[in-house]
Amino acid sequence: MLGVTLSRWTMSYFAAALAALLAGEVLMTAGYGFPSAPLRAPETLVVVHVVAIGWLSLLMCGALFQFVPVLIARPLHSNTLPLPALVLLLAGLGALLAGFLQLAGTLDPAPPLLPVAAMLLAGGFALALYDLARTLWPAQPLPLPARFVAVALFFLATTVTLGMLFSFALTTGLGSRPLLAVAGAGLPLHVVAGLGGWLTLAAIGVSYRLLAMFMLAPELEGTRSRAVFWTGTAGLALTVLGGVAALSLDAALAPALIGGSVLGVVALVLYGADIVHLYRARKRRIIELNSQMAVFAFAALAAAAALAVTLIVLGRLSEQVGALVFLIAFGWLTGLGLAKLYKIVAFLTWLECYGPALGRVATPRVQDLVVEARARTWFLLYYLAVASATVALLMAHVLAFRLAAGAMTLATLAIAAELIRARRLVDVSAEIRLPAGAQRPHLLMSVPHPSP
Amino acid sequence: MFIQTEVTSDPARMTFLPGREVLPHGTLTFDDRAAATRSPLAARLFDVRGVAALALGPDYITITKESGDWQHLKPALLGAMMEHFLSGAPVLSEPAHAAAPVSEATGKLVEEITQALRHVIDPELGYNIVDLGLIYHVDVDTDGLATVTMTTTSPGCPATGYLSDGARERAASVEGITRAEVTLTYEPRWSTDLMSDGAKAHFGIGTGRRR
Repeated sequence: MLGVTLSRWTMSYFAAALAALLAGEVLMTAGYGFPSAPLRAPETLVVVHVVAIGWLSLLMCGALFQFVPVLIARPLHSNTLPLPALVLLLAGLGALLAGFLQLAGTLDPAPPLLPVAAMLLAGGFALALYDLARTLWPAQPLPLPARFVAVALFFLATTVTLGMLFSFALTTGLGSRPLLAVAGAGLPLHVVAGLGGWLTLAAIGVSYRLLAMFMLAPELEGTRSRAVFWTGTAGLALTVLGGVAALSLDAALAPALIGGSVLGVVALVLYGADIVHLYRARKRRIIELNSQMAVFAFAALAAAAALAVTLIVLGRLSEQVGALVFLIAFGWLTGLGLAKLYKIVAFLTWLECYGPALGRVATPRVQDLVVEARARTWFLLYYLAVASATVALLMAHVLAFRLAAGAMTLATLAIAAELIRARRLVDVSAEIRLPAGAQRPHLLMSVPHPSP
Repeated sequence: MFIQTEVTSDPARMTFLPGREVLPHGTLTFDDRAAATRSPLAARLFDVRGVAALALGPDYITITKESGDWQHLKPALLGAMMEHFLSGAPVLSEPAHAAAPVSEATGKLVEEITQALRHVIDPELGYNIVDLGLIYHVDVDTDGLATVTMTTTSPGCPATGYLSDGARERAASVEGITRAEVTLTYEPRWSTDLMSDGAKAHFGIGTGRRR
């Protein structure tokens, strides 16, 4: 338990992730990709993967390297492996984007870079998966939040496998007919496995524990929370694994998608009830900005579920799927990610800087590293911009979408600046900023202190 | 003798209530058999196959199993507890620091250590660890060895090591203390009920106030 310490490379993952988020938002503001280009255009694939891999996956990996040990009260298997994993993932992302630009005709098509990207990304994610799985394995039976993460890691592997399949199908070709069938029509499964199985399940698992910790709320492991886990896992398994089986057997995809969606909606309703309970049962009446702003992310998830059901009922899902995916990626996952980053960066910075001086000299509080009133404005602008952009997409108003994306970029830039200020201790009053024994943290990595 | 059992939120743990005092003060955790040499009760319980760790509290014993089914483990554990308590053997073979008679000088040192520990703050909550209720027990022996039994708000918190180091540092800084040791325990788990009234008011607990 005492071995749970700072993850050395988590800050590096967060920095790279934020840079990717800003890059994705700048591209959307500039009118690159959907909705200025078709949904399946290579330009759209560039933006989607900058956000899905560069931002969301790096953010989640960085967070898991720090918080999986917290979930199971055991140290991370290796504090070294995350670095080569990050290098491979960044190289793989670069190759993937270049591969898409080859498809768009922007870059020379030879040599084909998509297979190279697939191998690099698979290598990077495999290292991250190995490190997290080796950390989780000895902790069995896993507590509920960690079980969500374990299943999320399985779906990460599934997402990467499907991605590899697509990259080979688009370049070198596939010799197997069933594989070709999966590659030909499996894009929805890749999206569901990535956004739902990997990112949403992991976010749900971590949110159970972090919300309870930060709001002094009871930890939920009861029947309803277990039902969230089982229905969510079953829904995703039915959609993704059932979908792959259906495609490879030349059967229709719809039953797997519909069955999985029903279970998914049930899981989300139950999860919503759990979140409402956590907020209501919290002991800490005065909650911090991160917990306040997370409410908007949960609202975005509820709105996305309602939108999905509405679009399915109206038979308009395929024409509006872009707006739905946007709301999930930016309202739910990015909203929650930014809100929790605001807390986590300050908390980890405090530990790194003042932890060794604790008990020896007076130290500031974690709350002294941030100015919540200033950051609140930017979070509100961010959520307002996401809501506007979603409406613009639903109404197919390209200019309004680009303006909203511009506002998202501005808000994200300001939030990133707040995180850098926290890391640099800029907002800590000068008298207690660096007392004896404290050390100024490096911006892009953490240096864990061994316990004496 | 009737021993009640209670399931916990962790399926690998079960609490046993023997209906009599187990430890006079505080709690003790035993992570393995080697740590159980000072307690005949703990040693007897470790003889039951499948016991991974255990904790003794004022009126309870919590067992963490490493394998096996409670259905099979429970009768063996109940038998071992009955045997122990009916034999009249002590729970601890040496007097626990917590059980030692408290002289006036020791009481003063304990008070000074408690005051010193108020300089250690929980970074997340931004409040001192004494009033948060994270300090379960403070004791000083005749050689000036201070023992602080404490917990953290959440097991696995990355601040755990820093908090215990900080508490050790502050306890050792008190005049008259030659050495300080900190024991971490999660039995019982911390809850906001353990906070002082001042701390509760600070966090708006029990006031229904929302901001």
